[in-house]
Formats: sequence, structure tokens, C-alpha cells
Amino acid sequence: MSQLSTRHLLGIKDITTEDIQLIFETAQNFKEVLNRPIKKVPSLRDITIANIFFENSTRTRLSFELAEKRLSADVINFSSASSSVKKGETLIDTVNNILSMKVDMVVMRHSSPGSPHFLSKNIKANIINAGDGTHEHPTQALLDAFSIREKLGDVAGKKVAIIGDILHSRVALSNIFCLQKLGAEVMVCGPITLLPKHIASLGVKVEYDVQKALEWCDVANVLRIQLERQQIKYFPSLREYSLYFGVNKKMLDRLDKEIVIMHPGPINRGVELNSDVADSEHSIILNQVENGVAIRMAVLYLLAGVK
Amino acid sequence: MAILFKSLRLIDAETIHPPKDYMYDGEQIQVLNPKIDKEFDEEFDCADLLASKGWIDLRCMCGEPGLEFKESIESLGAVLQESGFCKGVLMPNTEPSIQSKNEVQFLKNRSQNLFSDFLIQGAATKNNEGEDFTEILDLHNEGVTIFGDGIKPLSNPDRLLKVLQYLQKFDGTLFDQSYDPLIALFGHVHEGTTSTIIGVKGIPSLSEELAVRRNVEILRYTGGRMHFQTISTKGAVDIIREAKKDGLNVTADISIFQLMFSDEDLIDFDTNLKVMPPFRSKSDREALIGGLKDGTIDAIVSNHQPQDKDSKHMEFDLASFGMIGLQTFLPAMVKLSLELTWPLLIQKITSGPERVLRSKETKFNTLTVFDPELDWDYNLSSNKSNSSNSPWFDQKLTGKVKYVVNGAKFVKIHE
Repeated sequence: MSQLSTRHLLGIKDITTEDIQLIFETAQNFKEVLNRPIKKVPSLRDITIANIFFENSTRTRLSFELAEKRLSADVINFSSASSSVKKGETLIDTVNNILSMKVDMVVMRHSSPGSPHFLSKNIKANIINAGDGTHEHPTQALLDAFSIREKLGDVAGKKVAIIGDILHSRVALSNIFCLQKLGAEVMVCGPITLLPKHIASLGVKVEYDVQKALEWCDVANVLRIQLERQQIKYFPSLREYSLYFGVNKKMLDRLDKEIVIMHPGPINRGVELNSDVADSEHSIILNQVENGVAIRMAVLYLLAGVK
Repeated sequence: MAILFKSLRLIDAETIHPPKDYMYDGEQIQVLNPKIDKEFDEEFDCADLLASKGWIDLRCMCGEPGLEFKESIESLGAVLQESGFCKGVLMPNTEPSIQSKNEVQFLKNRSQNLFSDFLIQGAATKNNEGEDFTEILDLHNEGVTIFGDGIKPLSNPDRLLKVLQYLQKFDGTLFDQSYDPLIALFGHVHEGTTSTIIGVKGIPSLSEELAVRRNVEILRYTGGRMHFQTISTKGAVDIIREAKKDGLNVTADISIFQLMFSDEDLIDFDTNLKVMPPFRSKSDREALIGGLKDGTIDAIVSNHQPQDKDSKHMEFDLASFGMIGLQTFLPAMVKLSLELTWPLLIQKITSGPERVLRSKETKFNTLTVFDPELDWDYNLSSNKSNSSNSPWFDQKLTGKVKYVVNGAKFVKIHE
């Protein structure tokens, strides 16, 4: 197989395991390219890509932009933390205005779950979901699984604990779908108010004690507390959260095994993750960032080939 | 006017009667006496058709005044007529709300020449905000006997208690779509596996069950009459069944679409399926079916809520709640008739709503005749509503109303 089964990347739940494997193989090749002295390839020459970000983003937008430039695509950026809707313009109008400048692909981040799906039914360009509210963040899940594979050799059979604010996390949902498709066992762990009530129906283990989750897993993916997405109170204070749900070096020292620590960034240091863990030999956080560019290059390259 | 309906099979709450000839004399419908030699203005062969007393919808929304672009009085009248409904109870959620004599008189004047009759649910609180009472007795003097805040629940227990007490002066009924708005806060779909998969905040069944339980207990304290609208959960069915057994004056209805869809259908973020209460689980649907069969649920309603394109063609969480449901009501019943009997279905839109309205009509002066097998295209040209927010729009549907009698009025919908 050399082509994806879909012309958009809307979410991990919409793609096949074969798609994921193809993205990994392609990303592996691009990663080699990224380590060459000349890091640019002409694969997407004459392809125009619009990065449309209706929510604040630094690393995801930079990662996409770098991936696009490494592939020689023409890139335009549109950022609006306060979405155009507030100015009276609808999402469709905003995107169509941009598309009328002859854009081939759209990378979009938006606070509304399902907004890339909505767009995909109404515009012609290929769409890549760069995070839609509390729904999915597929390229993050792909780079996370790719990084696990790189570190541990395989994803299948591995135990991955996702720790933190699962309720507001698009990373958690995409990770669950991706890891399960690749044969990993998944656990979610956090305060009960930050775990979706029906999360166990997705076939994941549920744990409320972080130390126990660390004891169970091979990989701990610690998530950021999404204070900006919490519309109501879910826990008493950041202090209490960090005391009872944060991951620190002492907890890792109690384990008599190797463990891999991941975080999608940006880290709230001292809240969900202490610096003595984030910067430790267990952490592959910066590898994740590096792999993010290769994964995004692979996704862009493969989608450009799907008509 | 004299019309003959030949070989018509009439459905009532009990049975489907064998085919008979019925005559309509401009006032009433009766079985034709073959001994009487009578000339008819029109004769219709109804051998393949079914019929019942005229249908009643206890919950539909008109946009006028204020939101005519969604549905005007005229367009809602056309939709009710086309769909076979002789009566529709209008919700008060207009701009301004139906909350004073002025709005009631306006609605009466504007609807007097329509085929179908409009009944009015008067606002229980000003602007349906759940705080200050409207002038309920003054509204009653204009003929309003049903009060409620329409699509908004009376969530303040003290307000609900006082309204239930106040209505007893004229034996009025409180209509309420009961749910706890704080438990449902920021929710868009039923809380369950699907809401988890699509990452959309869910509305737990608990929000409805808590409010229905609380309101039943308040009713037990105050006395009076209460009608629960569009219940959707197993828990609510159980609580209302118990309340009826205890002898409380409680009735209930469900939206017909609650039987046609489940929360699993929301997987593709179709905003036309975003409704309140949300589509629940399949086990809730089973409980609703049980409630229909044992009489816990008295009526099925269209819950017709027109929304213009700009309120629906957008991001899921920003889109408005609601679906239009009148012209698709018969096609929905046709689908349900594979599972439920026609007498049961017809009961829920005739004698059931009459019981809720306490308007038992002794005369046989309304009639809805329909073809349960006729296919038709539901599209821009057949749509009578100002809105098109239906998941069935642009589809071929089965089941079409043919003729309707409403007292002295007769209309041919389809020949």
C-alpha cells in the first residue's frame, strides 16, 4: 500500500491501522532527510497549504509550518485566537475566503469538536485536523506512538498510561484510538472529575492513583492541565492537583523498572510534571517534538497524493 | 358540502375497523346509511387508505412574533395542515414571548383563518427566564389553560411550586420539559460512549431524572396538574409511572424522533440531530416504548423546532438545538408501525393528547385520512416550513396525508 485510505486526516478513529503504518514508514524516511545537511525535498512543490489556527498554538503550528517548508510547499498562515465568528463571519466564510486564493490543503485548529469534519463536507481542499476542541489531535497521537515505537522497538503489547486531564484532552482520545489500533494496552489516570464517565467503554483501564498507574505502565504520557478548556470547577486547586496527581522523581525512584515519560507540551512545570522528571533520562519529550516534524511531513506528503 | 369516503378503514385507540363508507356533511362524519339516497359533491375511493380522528400535536414551535424567518404563523399553519394535524399547541418561546394578552390576541387574530387550530402554551415566567411570573389569570381570561416556559425548564423549585399552586384557581396545567440545567450545562449530546468518542460534553440522563423526580415531589405537595414534555430517559418513565400509580395528576409525552434515532447517530456531528433532550441510548428507547404501551406516556409530539440554515450550518457546539418534525411525522409513524400497532400510535396523537388537554370531543368532527404506502420526495418544493432542519430532508419518504377534516373545514392534501 502506498496511499492512504482517506483524503483528509480528521481523526485517528477515521483511519486504518494500515494507514498508520504507512505514515510511520514515510515518517521514518523523512526523519532521515531531516538529519541530512540539506533538509529540504521538492515533494510538495506548487502545493499551497493554509495553516488556519482559531486557537492559540505555538509548537503545533511551528511544527506544521516547518514540515510544509521542508517539503517545499507554499505556506500561508492565518491565526485568530478570537475566531472570526465573533466578528460575525462564519467558519465556512473564513475558510472559503482563504481557499479562493487557490489553496490545496488546510491545516486547521479549532475549539469546536467536529469542526474539521464539518469543513470536509463543505470544501474541496484536503483537511488535516491540528486539534478540534476536546475531540482529536491526530498528528500528536501519531508522533507519540511513533516515538514509543522508536524508543521501545514496537507499540504492540506495551502498556501506556495517560495521566492527567482526560476530560478536556484531544490528545488522550487520539492516543487511545491510535495505541489500541497498534495493539497497546491503555490506562487513563487522573482525578475522577477529569475522567469522562464512560471512558471505560472505550476499552481502557481506569485508575485514580498515579503511583499505581506508574507501576503498571511501560510508558506514562502525562497530559497538560487544560485550564483554558475548563468551563467549570473540576478540582480545588493547582497545589492539590500537583500534590496528588503530579509526577515527580520520587515516584519514579520507587519503581524498580525502566519507564518512559512523555508529555505533549507545553508543560506546566511543577503542576502535572516536575522538572526533575521532565528533564530526566526517562523523558523523551524532545524526541516527540523532533518526530512531530517527520510525522507531519509524512501526513502532508501522503494526503497530497490522495485525490 | 357532502363528501363520501368509500371503503375507509378507521383506526381508533383499540382497533382498525373493517372498511366502511363514511360521509361528511360539512359538520360531522358518520357511517353512511345505505338506505338513504344522497348526492355527494365529491367521492373518494379509500380502499388502500387508513384514517382516524384528526391529529393533535402537543408541542410545536412558531417563530412569530420575532422569528418569522424560522417559522411564521402562516407557514406553521401550512405545515400542520399538510401533516394532518387539526390542532397544535404552540410553545411560548418567541420574541417577545407569549406572555401577555397582546401576544395571545395577536396569535388568535393571525391564525383565525388557518385550517388547523392553534392552542397556546402561555409563558409561565416573563421572557421564559424562570424568575418573575407572567399575569397568568389575565392570560387565562384570554382562553389560555396551559402554561410553561416551552423549551426552557422551570428549574427554580420555588417558581415551579408557586405556578402549580396558582394554576389551580382555574384547574390549569403546567407543561414542563424537565431537566436540571446545571447538570446539563455546556452539554450538546447524550452522555455515553458516543459523547466520549466524539469529545463533546454530554448531558447525563441524571439531569432529566433529577428534575422529573423533584417536580413530581413538588406536585405531590402542591396538588394541581403537570404534564411532562419530551421525556427521554428510562428513569423519567419509571418515576412518572410511579406518580400515576400514586394518583397524581401527571401526564407525559415523548418526541417521535426520540424513537427514530439514538445517541449513536451523532457520531458524524450532524447538527440536524442536535436536539433537546438529546437522543438517548437504545435502552432508554426501549423504556419509552414500554411507557407508550402501558400508558405511562400519554402522547407523542412532533417537537417541531424550526431553525434557519445559519443556526445549523456551522460548528456542532455552536449550532442551535432542534429539528422540524411535522411533515415527517407520518413517515416516522409508518416506520414505527413495523414495531407498534397503528391503534397505539393513533391513540398517542388523538385520545392521548385530548386527555392531556381535557378536551374530550364527543362529536366525530375531525378526520385525518392517509396513505401509509405512498412514497413522496421531501425537498424544497414539497416543504411547507420556512426551515429545512431535518435529517430526512432531500430523501424519499413513505406515508402521505391525503384528506383532512377539521369541523366545518375540509382540505385535500394529495390526490
